[in-house]
Amino acid sequence: MTFEEIHKAYWPKVYRQCIGYMNDPDIAKDLAQETFIKVWQQLPKFRNESSISTWIFRIAVNICLRQIEKDKRMPKSEFPKGMVAEVPVNNEPEVQFLYQCISELPEIERIIISLELEELKQKEIATIVGLSESNVRVKIHRIKEKLTKKFQQNDR
Amino acid sequence: MTDNVDFKQYWNKQKIQIPAVEELIKKANQFKRKTRFKLIATNLILLATCIVIGSVWLYYQPEFLTTKIGIVLCIIAMLVYLAFHNTLAPLLLKHSIEVDTKTQLQELLTLKEKQRFQQTTLLNGYFILLSTGLSLYMYEYVVRMTLPWFIFSYGIVLFWIGLNAFYFRPKMIKKQEAQLNKLIAQLKKLNKQLID
Repeated sequence: MTFEEIHKAYWPKVYRQCIGYMNDPDIAKDLAQETFIKVWQQLPKFRNESSISTWIFRIAVNICLRQIEKDKRMPKSEFPKGMVAEVPVNNEPEVQFLYQCISELPEIERIIISLELEELKQKEIATIVGLSESNVRVKIHRIKEKLTKKFQQNDR
Repeated sequence: MTDNVDFKQYWNKQKIQIPAVEELIKKANQFKRKTRFKLIATNLILLATCIVIGSVWLYYQPEFLTTKIGIVLCIIAMLVYLAFHNTLAPLLLKHSIEVDTKTQLQELLTLKEKQRFQQTTLLNGYFILLSTGLSLYMYEYVVRMTLPWFIFSYGIVLFWIGLNAFYFRPKMIKKQEAQLNKLIAQLKKLNKQLID
């Protein structure tokens, strides 16, 4: 797979992962860009030890997590405006509500549920976060319960 | 009331625009050049300073041993800083971004704790070497002055050293520590989330 193909196929997935984590289109854009810059730099060294999808998601998740140490390392101004066309935020209310609910979860839960919603196998999620498959299954169940409750409360 | 919300359906409806790949590559290259330039600039500045100090030894042929020791100490201070900046620092900062979350969190935690210790030690060492070096170095030239000038010259230098030792240095260390401590606490919190 060339970088161009990867970029095209994985940008939406990575972007959703990032916006699930931060629920802010600007920050999500920056995080997704940083992920692809890393992918671009590391791609020649990628040796198919894991699937390309696992590899990319691991990078994206780690970039999201490392957001906490990055008040100044790669300031937003590094990316001039207009590099990405502004994403119109006219999502349906349910879509917006889902992303908002996810971003209110604890960090690790945000990551796990985003990967699950991206339809990754639980085995792959386990490899990405470094937990056992059964542990991941339990966590996903718990997170979905939390989200369902929030949706139900919202319905009333 | 809904019991079975189709989260996946909503998840996939998030509006997304894919940016141009060429722009991304251009940015990545710019970022790489910038980082490299910074590294080279720091090296050049400190090495040039070392050469200037070193050339004093060659051209002015200092007679006192104190001057020579002073020069050596200053150069050592700068070389130690450079060695750290060039080899240890990137090594410390560069760790795999391709590992799983659990490993990543543990690595970051170890790294930050190490960094907390090393930053303080390095800064103290650099400071002590440079101040001692400077004081020894100027002795030969100051001792030839009249007493008031002798006191004036050393007074200014000692004031400057004192200001650094008791004001700027603790302030810098405190700031670095506060940042790292905050980060370590956050990392521990994330780690706990993962285990729970």
